[in-house]
Amino acid sequence: MTANPIRAALDWGGLAPLRLRSKLVAEGVYAGGHRSARRGAGVEFGGHREYAPGDDLRWLDRRSLMRHERLLVRQFETETDRALRLVVDATASMGYRGSLAPGAKLAFAAVIAAALARIAIASGDPVGLTFLGGGPNVRSVPVSGGREAFERIVAALETCEAGGDALLDGALLDRALGGISRAARRGSIVVVLSDLLDLPVGAADRIAAIASRGRVISVVQTLDPDEARLPFSGTVRLRGLEGGTVVETDADTTREQYLASLRALQNAWERALVARGGRLVRAETSEDPVRIVRSVAEAVR
Amino acid sequence: MSFVTAIGLAVALLVVFPYMAHRLRRRRAEERPFAGAHLVPAAPPRARRRSQLEDRALFALRAASVIALAGLAASPLVRCSRLSLHREGGASIAMAIVLDDSMSMRATFAGGTTTRFDRAMRGARELLGSAREGDAIAIVLAGAPPRVALAATTDLAAARAALSETPPSDRGTDLDGAIAMARALVSQLPQVDRRIVVLSDLADGHPDGPPLGEGESLPVWVALPELREDAKDCGIISADRLGVGVRVTLACGPGAVSAGREVTVRAGDDVVARAPAPMGAGGDVSLTLPGERDKGDLVAHLEGMDAIAADDVAAVVPEAAAPAIAIVADATEEATATGGAPILEQAMTALHLDVALRPIPAVPDRAEDLAGFLGVIVDDPPGLTPEERRAVGAFLDRGGELLVALGPHAAAAPLGATFEPVLSRGVAWGETKAKGAAEAGAAPRRADAASRFTDLGARSRATLAPEDAKSFATLIAWSDGAPLVAKRTVGTLGAGGDAWVVTLPFAVGASDLTLRPGFLGLLAAWADEVRAHAVPVRIDVGVPWVFRSGGSVAVDGPGGALGIARDGPVARAAPPVIGVYEVTVAGKTERRVAAPIPAEMNLRPRKVVAAPQSHAVGDDHASVDVSWVVALALLTFVAAELALRVDRARRPEVT
Repeated sequence: MTANPIRAALDWGGLAPLRLRSKLVAEGVYAGGHRSARRGAGVEFGGHREYAPGDDLRWLDRRSLMRHERLLVRQFETETDRALRLVVDATASMGYRGSLAPGAKLAFAAVIAAALARIAIASGDPVGLTFLGGGPNVRSVPVSGGREAFERIVAALETCEAGGDALLDGALLDRALGGISRAARRGSIVVVLSDLLDLPVGAADRIAAIASRGRVISVVQTLDPDEARLPFSGTVRLRGLEGGTVVETDADTTREQYLASLRALQNAWERALVARGGRLVRAETSEDPVRIVRSVAEAVR
Repeated sequence: MSFVTAIGLAVALLVVFPYMAHRLRRRRAEERPFAGAHLVPAAPPRARRRSQLEDRALFALRAASVIALAGLAASPLVRCSRLSLHREGGASIAMAIVLDDSMSMRATFAGGTTTRFDRAMRGARELLGSAREGDAIAIVLAGAPPRVALAATTDLAAARAALSETPPSDRGTDLDGAIAMARALVSQLPQVDRRIVVLSDLADGHPDGPPLGEGESLPVWVALPELREDAKDCGIISADRLGVGVRVTLACGPGAVSAGREVTVRAGDDVVARAPAPMGAGGDVSLTLPGERDKGDLVAHLEGMDAIAADDVAAVVPEAAAPAIAIVADATEEATATGGAPILEQAMTALHLDVALRPIPAVPDRAEDLAGFLGVIVDDPPGLTPEERRAVGAFLDRGGELLVALGPHAAAAPLGATFEPVLSRGVAWGETKAKGAAEAGAAPRRADAASRFTDLGARSRATLAPEDAKSFATLIAWSDGAPLVAKRTVGTLGAGGDAWVVTLPFAVGASDLTLRPGFLGLLAAWADEVRAHAVPVRIDVGVPWVFRSGGSVAVDGPGGALGIARDGPVARAAPPVIGVYEVTVAGKTERRVAAPIPAEMNLRPRKVVAAPQSHAVGDDHASVDVSWVVALALLTFVAAELALRVDRARRPEVT
């Protein structure tokens, strides 16, 4: 029998109930207004572009046609919604909860995701939810806005379970990110909540690539305090939650090496994201979720 | 091993339980789920390794405890190979241990360094270990001559002490004498159960002799049959320096050959001469020394290995002049009608003595000329000149033996010639009415010889002066009481040699003395005295040197100073081991050698009668109760396990 088994049901711990918790977190965050990058009907001129068949003829700039003999349409920048796409890593490793954490990593990620969703919806932006892996009950929530959207997202997060092995199942990442890459419109905000520990090789570049086409991405690395510090001592036998890795080591001797490897991993992610205009937010499940949400809001502003 | 013993030892199979418990306890380090496991490098689990070692120590202790438990269960039934005594009804016994300390017991067992003597000593200690209070123990050493190492005693501590002080020796073997001595020691003891235990290889040089123990009145147990295994040995009997060469004499036991081996002569560690050993079973090897090795201590080695290493080395000594007897006889008067040597010389030759016979024309007038002789026979000398008297006096003082036959020439000694220091007065030669010797007048040991001289056909005889006759001990008397053969000791403090006088000359014409069979007996008796007084340079080991000078004697040998046994003025020292001895007599030191006895190289055992080999009086495989030892070991194991567990409990637990 292991000391900290991964439970079949998500260990919410002190993070439950999700709805109330996420509201409290959201209320603690100053969201502020954000400008949509979407150009369309509005009051503030945003420039010209070539006419394309199907464009609304109302925005055809006749003066430009007469002056330049070219069909141009006028564009306007306007206050509008920016879709928030939440990607929550629900693979098996996210079900881990150490002795120092108030709840499992997935539960913590769910609180963050719900809080972000509430903030976005309160700002009038639509929100969508996609899971990376997860148990049989997980279901994604399409991008939608309004109060009902928040309820659907909270319901989906409350019923999710950790499961799946991203290392063994290489298509897991593709299934989660494929829809976003195809459907997320310019200006969408993509927030990925994951421990980043058990993702396949190249995952950083593939996730950072979402930031193309005017999309903004922020990755929240959600670590348990055990994973952030390796607080064990003496001889321990560590079994990876994904990929089947089992290693027997003397924690006192190898702690520094582990932390160095962890820092190297985080740096690699950070380099990949920054190169695409994204940002990595480091979080431990023992931290105050408000700080994490505020950091994410700052990151995507 | 009996079935019950096997059952007892089967308890040892329970060792599988601590093994299984150990395996069950030997769980892996606690396994933890950890997402970043692939980021953690594997490392030698230092703490875990220490834990494993402790576990193994614990397992070893537990396994040893179970095995000790099995030993405890079986120990009362365990029989080990050791000598023990059987007792009838638990009564005390009287036991004489005949311990063979002869040279053959120095033979080593095949493939080992343990000698037969070592094994015999261990057997003797085992026997003493099985003795109880009230048992009488006597120890007899069977090396020739047999000796009593311990008279019968019930003091077992004294027996153990006597045994521990018994060293090996190179003596010959006298098993019969030792058994007879052992029998005498215990036969009169009050214990009803009396026995003799022989710890010997039975190699006394007489493998075809009568079986040992035959006709013995006491039970004889010839223990330790392993001592009698077959072995082959060759050795060096003598190594004599002959001018620029060395003659090495080898001897081998039955079945042993010296062929293929090599004889070397060494000065220190340097080999100065070498030669192949003879092809057969021993023989002589002559080696020539290089010029620069003309002097110095040399040692002869018989290279190669055999059963006994001690006899493969011998010191090279200058060739000792063969002991000789000087015969002074007038060939013109004593020659037989058929010619040849004088009859006295022929008679001495007929005795086949191991001494050389040297006929000389007259008594030497220098003491040096008599130094090489053990005895001198003078037939009817015309007295002794002053120089001759001095020489003879010195000869007698150093223990020489003189036999003087008095005849007509003795009675007609010229002026200035006397028989001092043998006779203080002159000798008369005249007719005799006595026909021969009187049986009644002879010394007890000479009665048989006297009976052969009852009719000597002598018309005349020599007559001693009354003063001289009183100073002589008459060995054989004429029928009228006058001495026919008489003897007196001449020399300082009575420690000198003996002077024998015969009042008839050895000439055939004077009497029938030399024709009587008793004449040879007379000469043989005198020759025995001669040899008894001899102090040869080389002597068989175990045979004593006899010193009659009466002065101070000291003998240092390979094992240190020898004990000197004194009997009045006569001193004796018997070398127990072969080798070179420094003999100091009256301040004069010389080197002498104790040589091995060829018979000891014959390692064939003598036969033993069937009865003594029975185990009625003892057993080679004793049941020994070692329960207390095993129990002590078991307690030690348990205590060690507790200590280990306490020690481990004090250490911080490793997660």
